[in-house]
Amino acid sequence: MNVHHFQAMGCEIVVAGAEPAAVAAVFEEWEDAFSLFRPDSELSRVNRSTGSVVAVSPLFARTLQVALDVAAETDGLVDPTLCGKWREARLGGRILSRPPGLALDLNGVVKSLAVDAAAELISDDGFVSAGGDIAVHGAVDVALPHGGAIRVVEGGLATSGTASRGQHLLDPRTGEPSDSPWEQVTASGSSCLAADVAAKVAFLLGAGGPAWLDEREIAGRFVARDGEIVESSHWRGALACT
Amino acid sequence: MAADSRIERARARARSAKAVIATGTLLVFGVAFVGAKIHAPGHAKGNAKPLDAPKSFKRAVKRSIAQGGQIAPAVQVPPVATSTS
Repeated sequence: MNVHHFQAMGCEIVVAGAEPAAVAAVFEEWEDAFSLFRPDSELSRVNRSTGSVVAVSPLFARTLQVALDVAAETDGLVDPTLCGKWREARLGGRILSRPPGLALDLNGVVKSLAVDAAAELISDDGFVSAGGDIAVHGAVDVALPHGGAIRVVEGGLATSGTASRGQHLLDPRTGEPSDSPWEQVTASGSSCLAADVAAKVAFLLGAGGPAWLDEREIAGRFVARDGEIVESSHWRGALACT
Repeated sequence: MAADSRIERARARARSAKAVIATGTLLVFGVAFVGAKIHAPGHAKGNAKPLDAPKSFKRAVKRSIAQGGQIAPAVQVPPVATSTS
């Protein structure tokens, strides 16, 4: 399996089983639309717009709809407004309406959606990883934080936490950096998006994270700040039954 | 007698005409009332349907968002690692 590395979206992209240039083009398209660091990105233009109604591109509309669905499914723990006002953003087709001044930040879903889109380019077996958020086609072994590895048979795997950049995950319930007892949470999902959302929510819920994953039969692995490793029941079960 | 008989017949015809007119009026009013109820613009014939995505689609999306993948024990050296970014 030939593995290629390059930089995009501010992180390392690792690709196997797909043409790296084509994968890079996918990430460039997503970054061009949703980067908050590019003044000419569509997201920056939407956030600068002073009107309450704005027309957006099909890609933007689809992505925002996913972000709003994720916010609803997670009771706002993954919130595209970062301030608990996601219910005030409404989408009708390609028409976005929201209170003037309500800025959007779609980073909670954009990277994992880009990974899933890039993974569509895999012709046979392979994977796409963006900063450790992974989608696979065919089984791929993946190294885990603090040692160990698992095989991702189908879907995706993602890790969320504070390990690499300090407390960068805001808790929308408080507007403050999360005080989760976990350093990192790794979760599996039916896609990279599902894994990323599960990892974020399980991290933000703190001690309630393992139970949240168990209720949804999602496998997750938690690394506490003191290095202790806690596995959800489905993680343990998946590794024990084979 | 003949005059009384003619007056009685005239009154009977008048009563019949009044009944016909009253019945016709009621009939026209009833038809118009029912027709207005059914066809008048601004009155929904059925329950309003939301313009957003169908519930079945939303359920599918939600299932996908909160659905775990498949994992198993690793069997070889991993070519990639998961971590926070």
